[in-house]
Amino acid sequence: MTGSARAIAPTGAGPTEGYSGADSSFDELLGHAGTPEPHWQPFLNALSALDPAALSERIARLGVRVRETGMAHDLFADPARATHGWRVDLIPLILPPAIWRELERALVQRARLLEAVVADIYGPQRLLSSGLIPPQVVFSDPSFLRPCRNIRPPRGYIQFFATDLARGPDGRWRVIDSHAETPAGIGHALANRMVHTHVAGDIFTACRALRLAPFFQQLQTALAERANRADPTVALLTPGPSHNDFFSHAYLARYLDMLLVEGEDLRVAGERAYLKTLDGLKPIDLIVRCVAGSTADPLELDPQGFLGPVGLLQAVRRVPDLVTNALGSAIVENRALGACLPRLCREILNEDLVIPDAPRRWLGDPQAREHVAANLDRFVIRPAQEGTGRPGRATPGRDPARLSAAERAALLEEIALRGATMVAEEKVGFGTTPSLGPDGLAPRHYAVRLFVAATASGPVVMPGGIAMTVEQDAAVALSAPDGESRDVWVVSETPPPPFVSLWRPSIEAARVQRTPRELPSRAADNLFWLGRYAERADWTLRVLRTALSRLEEDSGPLRDLGAARKSLEILLGKDEASLPAGRAPTDPMLVTELCNILLTSTDRAYGLPRTLDHIHRVASLTRDRLSYEAWRTLNAFHAGTRWRIDGAPATTGEALDLLDSGLATLAAFNGLMHENMTRNFGWSFLDMGRRLSRAFNLSELLLAVFRRKEREDETGSLLFVLELGDSFITYRSRYRQAPMLALVLDLLMMDETNPRSIAFQLAELARHLDALPQARRGADRIGEQRIVLELRSRLQLADVRSLGESEADGARHQLADLLGANVASLPVLSDAISRRYFNLKEQEPRWMRARSEREP
Amino acid sequence: MKYEVSHRTAYRYRSTVVESHHLVHLKPRAGAMQSVARHSLLIEPAPVSRIDLVDYFDNETSILYIEEDHAECIIHSRSTVEVRARPVPDLAANPAWEQVTGLATAADGALDVGILQFACESRHTRPIPDALAYARQSFPAGTPVLAGAWSLAERIHRDFAFDPTATDISTPVARVFRERRGVCQDFAHLALTCLRALGLPARYVSGYLLTHPPPGREKLQGADASHAWVSVWAPGTGWVDFDPTNGLIPAEEHITIGYGRDYDDVSPVSGVLLGGDHQAMSVAVDVTPVA
Repeated sequence: MTGSARAIAPTGAGPTEGYSGADSSFDELLGHAGTPEPHWQPFLNALSALDPAALSERIARLGVRVRETGMAHDLFADPARATHGWRVDLIPLILPPAIWRELERALVQRARLLEAVVADIYGPQRLLSSGLIPPQVVFSDPSFLRPCRNIRPPRGYIQFFATDLARGPDGRWRVIDSHAETPAGIGHALANRMVHTHVAGDIFTACRALRLAPFFQQLQTALAERANRADPTVALLTPGPSHNDFFSHAYLARYLDMLLVEGEDLRVAGERAYLKTLDGLKPIDLIVRCVAGSTADPLELDPQGFLGPVGLLQAVRRVPDLVTNALGSAIVENRALGACLPRLCREILNEDLVIPDAPRRWLGDPQAREHVAANLDRFVIRPAQEGTGRPGRATPGRDPARLSAAERAALLEEIALRGATMVAEEKVGFGTTPSLGPDGLAPRHYAVRLFVAATASGPVVMPGGIAMTVEQDAAVALSAPDGESRDVWVVSETPPPPFVSLWRPSIEAARVQRTPRELPSRAADNLFWLGRYAERADWTLRVLRTALSRLEEDSGPLRDLGAARKSLEILLGKDEASLPAGRAPTDPMLVTELCNILLTSTDRAYGLPRTLDHIHRVASLTRDRLSYEAWRTLNAFHAGTRWRIDGAPATTGEALDLLDSGLATLAAFNGLMHENMTRNFGWSFLDMGRRLSRAFNLSELLLAVFRRKEREDETGSLLFVLELGDSFITYRSRYRQAPMLALVLDLLMMDETNPRSIAFQLAELARHLDALPQARRGADRIGEQRIVLELRSRLQLADVRSLGESEADGARHQLADLLGANVASLPVLSDAISRRYFNLKEQEPRWMRARSEREP
Repeated sequence: MKYEVSHRTAYRYRSTVVESHHLVHLKPRAGAMQSVARHSLLIEPAPVSRIDLVDYFDNETSILYIEEDHAECIIHSRSTVEVRARPVPDLAANPAWEQVTGLATAADGALDVGILQFACESRHTRPIPDALAYARQSFPAGTPVLAGAWSLAERIHRDFAFDPTATDISTPVARVFRERRGVCQDFAHLALTCLRALGLPARYVSGYLLTHPPPGREKLQGADASHAWVSVWAPGTGWVDFDPTNGLIPAEEHITIGYGRDYDDVSPVSGVLLGGDHQAMSVAVDVTPVA
């Protein structure tokens, strides 16, 4: 990939010693002169100041940070194998002021030009009838949405614009793609900057690179203006976690404080768009569209597209600025437009095009078809319209030189029939920029994506971007299958001005806001499960720790492994798979075996690996509601490989260390949520999930261990449940005596002041349920409230001494009844909450398509 | 000739539909050859909103929104239409098809975009090699465009069997080609695919056809149907209709609702429902000549 480059270690004589560009391509570091460019000098100096150990430490930290931020993997992919890799190079692409000014000028011009083009295509179509744009380009493109014609958004069609650029081997810039459909991975650019400044913030400052924050503030202001309301409700409409750019959607939503919604969360009624919340329908002021326009309304657009709410187009007709980028804006991404731009620019803007597109020919033109057919090997054939996904995922196109004779013939036939939807691109080659590998600096062919936001005073360019390593041979676009990316620094000649907030809210907008942000039903659902899974993980880790620590110790009653075995068997008994056979119930090896299964097995429904996967999944789905720290904390389970244990841990001691660190992670997460999360409905659902789980786990354990008196001395079991219930110290400080059943049960079941007791969990559940919107409406208690009230009453009325009494056969009927009621009713409560607040499927069956089929 | 058209679409659902949106193309289009005296739309249950729009192709359309639990929905369109006899086109006296293709594939603004757009592919008329090969047999070099179109319509009528069980609305043209059977939409899509593969402007026409009972029999109630055919553009002549399903050139018995690139643009009734699994649909059309 790196051609003839020699790489050297970035220490000693200087980081660029021995560095040369690849092939004869233009190189960013060496410029035209072949010696390091002055604008790289501060960076190179900072790099030389780092000794090899410090440098590798930074590289390692950067990698960890990327993983912890969740950029590196696909949400639903096997976490052990990142299918869509994402790496960030420690070396940024550095652009000097002069170059940047040219790029900025080119991008602003292009944004203005394409805005005018899209407005014409969806308006008078003068550019088509005059032939300035071949009309067949537009009419053959499925992203031209005819029903959107004559819907004119007053604040413009294109809010989010991005351009992919590359330098030719001669150093000249050219545009390889334009993006006007969605925000096109701007979240990735932002996240790249965040992770990179985390490890290289000092160098960033030393290099006088421009910050991104002012740009995003301008963007936010522009969105508020577009919504045409102070304090608007802005939703980012994503196709959901299975889309390859979901990370970017979630990250952007979180950063700009937008609601992250999917089509199902929205509803159009009476030509207005609403968000479905726990408290009914709430109006939406602005939808930032991250779904393809054609899929946004199955009624009037693609009948197979269900990524937006039915009837969205009617709401847009009424408020044309409701959706941005405007529906149909993808039409200007059509690659065939590239060749028309120089003329269009002169006609429309009366200017020369600053940076033209890469040389490409539209195959709808008979002459171009002939030329390409005659010189097929010089071109790469690509669809004219592709759509935008995760940065770097552009399709590489078909290279005729690599096709068999039969494939070439088929390709030519396809061009003859469907040329209007295809383009041929000349293979031009890419310039290079330095990358830091294990052997030092080495050149990489690259392309860069830069971002533009529309504002009231015109397009504004983000002073940064994403540069990605492309395959020199195959690529003609930003096609970077390896996901090797780097931050883009725009350096300034003078120290950047101190940061001044551009966000000056009016008095009206700044009024005190304490009403909670709307909570979509789906978000409530996910938070509830996040609470449940976090608690399940906490419980599982505690069971493992308490059980394993028994094996290490060596004192009388602690050798009683009965309770440990039961607690493990409960968790492992929740699925069909069988337990290890052939050992006596008292054999310590049995406990070891059970622990290992729970710790490592991916087949077990309640095994730790699956629980941690669940946490990662629901945390990803609720990312827009978690603080960065909370997300990063949880991601420790996912990003590292420590939790992917093959076979058994080497020693019990090692396993215990791991469990302790896991418990510390969860404690940190719970603490962060507890301290930082606003006490709104989202918090209620997260906490209810946790409380429900905890009450259930403890009830189930106490029932299994104490329903029957199996031996006279139950000290071992009592100590076990106290430790598992995290109440040993409380007990000891309160009673200063050996554990007695009645006192232990009082502490773990009845005591509403003990945050680990069943009574405490029920009290909290009651408090949350009483505050929820549907409970507040009527005077009568609703089903969920009754369930909790009944369980609480039974608990309060129970006499703790008689609970401990056993029959002649050892059975403790009262205790079994009381705990059995919990074990039976808590799942019912969970279902009732789901049904009432978030079970969209039951209340709202799927949309179906109904069409009339003609008969003869 | 004057007609009364009744077009009644009834959906029945096994479980209740909570909410439904419908997009209908049911009002016959007024034009030089056809005038609409009366048109009404009856919907049950009553929609909370009805929005009348003119679509991209200047067809009149309505969007209906029903927000009420219902197990049955009826959309009943009634129209009184006068159809004037179209002049019989002179199939030979028009330019060679290559000349038309040249006009439609050039991007010099010479051909009106309103015509040119119909030479471009659409979802249901994506060109395939089979279609091009089939079309070429009707369009030897220098064939006048309308003569070629008529030959194509006749051949489709001859080579393809009418079979309502063979296809549904999502059957691709490639399969219709392989199996050589289908219904009027399929044959219209087939003809359009062939014509557009050659680069000729051709559009999909949705409408009704007056049917005649077998000699000596009474005409059955609701026995007519909505229909589809194609229209081909020729310089100097304009749009000329061809009915490949019946192998004829429409004169006075075809009533036009509207036209577009294919079925998707002018489907008479489509909708999206919340709830209501297991839908059953029945359509009854009556075309009655009136004095």
